[in-house]
Amino acid sequence: MSHLSLFLVVILFISKKSQAQTCCSGGVPLSNNIGLPLAEKGILQIGVSYDYNNLNTLNEGSTRLDDSNRLRVTHSLLLNLGYSITTRFSVEALFSWVNQRRRIITNNTLSQSSGVGDAILLTRYLLLNKNDMTLSIGGGLKLPTGATDKKSDLGITLNADLQPGSNALDAIFLTSVSKQFNFRKSLTFSSRITYRNTGVNREYQNVNRYKFGNETQLFFSITDQFIVFNKIVSPSLTLKHRRVLHDEINSKQISNTGGQWLFLNPSLSIGLAENINFLSSLEVPIYINVEGIQLTPTYRLNFGVLIQLFKEKSRMKIIRKLMTQ
Amino acid sequence: MKTSYLFLISMLFIILSCASDDSSMFSTGVNNGNGSEGSGGNVDDTDSGGAASNWTIPIDEVVDGGPGKDGIPSIDNAIFLEAGDARVNNYMEDDDLVVGIVRGNVAKAYPHRILDWHEVVNDDVFGDKITISYCPLTGTAFGWESSVDNRYSEFGVSGLLYNTNLILYDRASDSNWSQLKLECVNGEFIGSKPKVADVLETTWKLWKEMFPETKILSNEQGFSRKYTVYPYGDYKQDDEFLLFPVSKIDNSIPNKDRVHVIISVDSAKVFEFSNFGNGKAIKSQFLSNDILIIGDQKMINSYIIGSQYINLVFEYDFSTPDYYFKDNEGNKWNVLGTAVDGPRKGEKLATTSSLMSYWFAIPPFFSKIEIY
Repeated sequence: MSHLSLFLVVILFISKKSQAQTCCSGGVPLSNNIGLPLAEKGILQIGVSYDYNNLNTLNEGSTRLDDSNRLRVTHSLLLNLGYSITTRFSVEALFSWVNQRRRIITNNTLSQSSGVGDAILLTRYLLLNKNDMTLSIGGGLKLPTGATDKKSDLGITLNADLQPGSNALDAIFLTSVSKQFNFRKSLTFSSRITYRNTGVNREYQNVNRYKFGNETQLFFSITDQFIVFNKIVSPSLTLKHRRVLHDEINSKQISNTGGQWLFLNPSLSIGLAENINFLSSLEVPIYINVEGIQLTPTYRLNFGVLIQLFKEKSRMKIIRKLMTQ
Repeated sequence: MKTSYLFLISMLFIILSCASDDSSMFSTGVNNGNGSEGSGGNVDDTDSGGAASNWTIPIDEVVDGGPGKDGIPSIDNAIFLEAGDARVNNYMEDDDLVVGIVRGNVAKAYPHRILDWHEVVNDDVFGDKITISYCPLTGTAFGWESSVDNRYSEFGVSGLLYNTNLILYDRASDSNWSQLKLECVNGEFIGSKPKVADVLETTWKLWKEMFPETKILSNEQGFSRKYTVYPYGDYKQDDEFLLFPVSKIDNSIPNKDRVHVIISVDSAKVFEFSNFGNGKAIKSQFLSNDILIIGDQKMINSYIIGSQYINLVFEYDFSTPDYYFKDNEGNKWNVLGTAVDGPRKGEKLATTSSLMSYWFAIPPFFSKIEIY
């Protein structure tokens, strides 16, 4: 129970740090995609996914404006690697390739950039694993591996929001908890919080210092498992709260950045083979409250596969056993 | 296992379908700006618009402002209200600044409140096609004829900035025009100059007193915007807050102080509101011209003193909205420089090429600056 208290304290601490608003809604979904499932010692997890982020909603505060002239799309290919060094300690890396797009509908103008995006290195520690409950904490860095000097065909450096990378080193903190109950062993309730303390790009436009707003994301999920056509199918429903502070340029807050969002995220995992899972999810905002006027997410799609290698026990066998109980 | 592979292939197909929402992300995707996509460019970076690579300004000082070309929508079918319309009070206050233009017997006011959100208005004033532009980041407004190479053209917001100042583009040729440099800086008409139309900047209260029949841009332009909200936060008040780089900073005057600037090519003469107290007429010189500058705490305007007026002694007199200053011959002149009373009634002083601006915007554009 002391671990649960610790989890709550961490959540409270992080929530207080990110006092209010936050930033622009575009960009690469890195912190959205960290946190591979906890695995047993010696297991290597490889996740490959495609993420599509569509921003075509113009909001002023919580009011949706009747203007869909601007379309921002981010296509991301993500490679997620995780390895459990011990039963409690694991490492995780997330690499990205990004295509950022900005289209103006009325004149059909497209601006875009593509390239390797930023990467995340993360370590996680399993604090608790008993009584069908797990509690883990993690921390890591977002490394500025992505380019920030991509130019248009006019030779003009694209805006920070349209670059594959951020040229800033961010610190990331993660904590998660999950719990299963006796009334249905396959049913899992889980919660996760990620906090990204963003670094400063000191070479923005060569002379300026640009900082994206700090970001806090809180997830609450419910997941169940069924056997359908001899496959393990895991539907899940996640409620996500995202809060971002204002972006800053030379330590001055930039208007029309930052805000908070509540997303609903149904997802489905299908066990294609004993160690291969297909994952898909849809994310739609159900509440938006941005600072000023902002283009904000309309929907997001994610598809991918998760492969577990060097697995010692058959998860399928365990699940089958649970289902027949 | 076979069904698994089949499933994976199906999902891959769905993913690729999603990716093709706005042309394939793997395509070259260059847009010709005319509503259809062409080919060319490189895989990584595409953009549309005046694809000419030549610029008259350093390209590394041109920045992408963020919203994109026409991401800040110009007003192309402007809707006006009469000054006395009660609806004006819903969005205008007396001290709000307006950009005003007078042609024939038509006076029109374009509030900063609305220009902050649109930056460009393509309008018709007394039969003349005029483009009003306003850059909220440098606080500079111009009127110029809506034409390129003597052909009508609307202008739009390119989404680019030079020294944090608006770059417009013309919709006839897609060329880019620097507002404060008053020049086409890229594209087919590179090097061309716009034909400037005189505009004034003052408060709404003063403008409507001087021109009671004026029309004013309505707050209902067909765009979903709240014009009572200033979109740039503390930008107007904070002297240290600049959103984009400028090539030169001069601390002689606080950055965001509004100044009246008389310009010619690379020369500028700067007058501050503090020069005028509660109202004053100043005779000065700019390059080889004698000039007259009349101002108070609400408005500054300047005129060229031709040889026929050189011996006149001018005096600020704004006791009624009908005239702005007077002279020792008994002539009374309005803000447009027209004698409205006295022996020279009907005569007109030529106005200078001038503008109102935040001070910081001037040094990057003019190498020879004199502060009065």
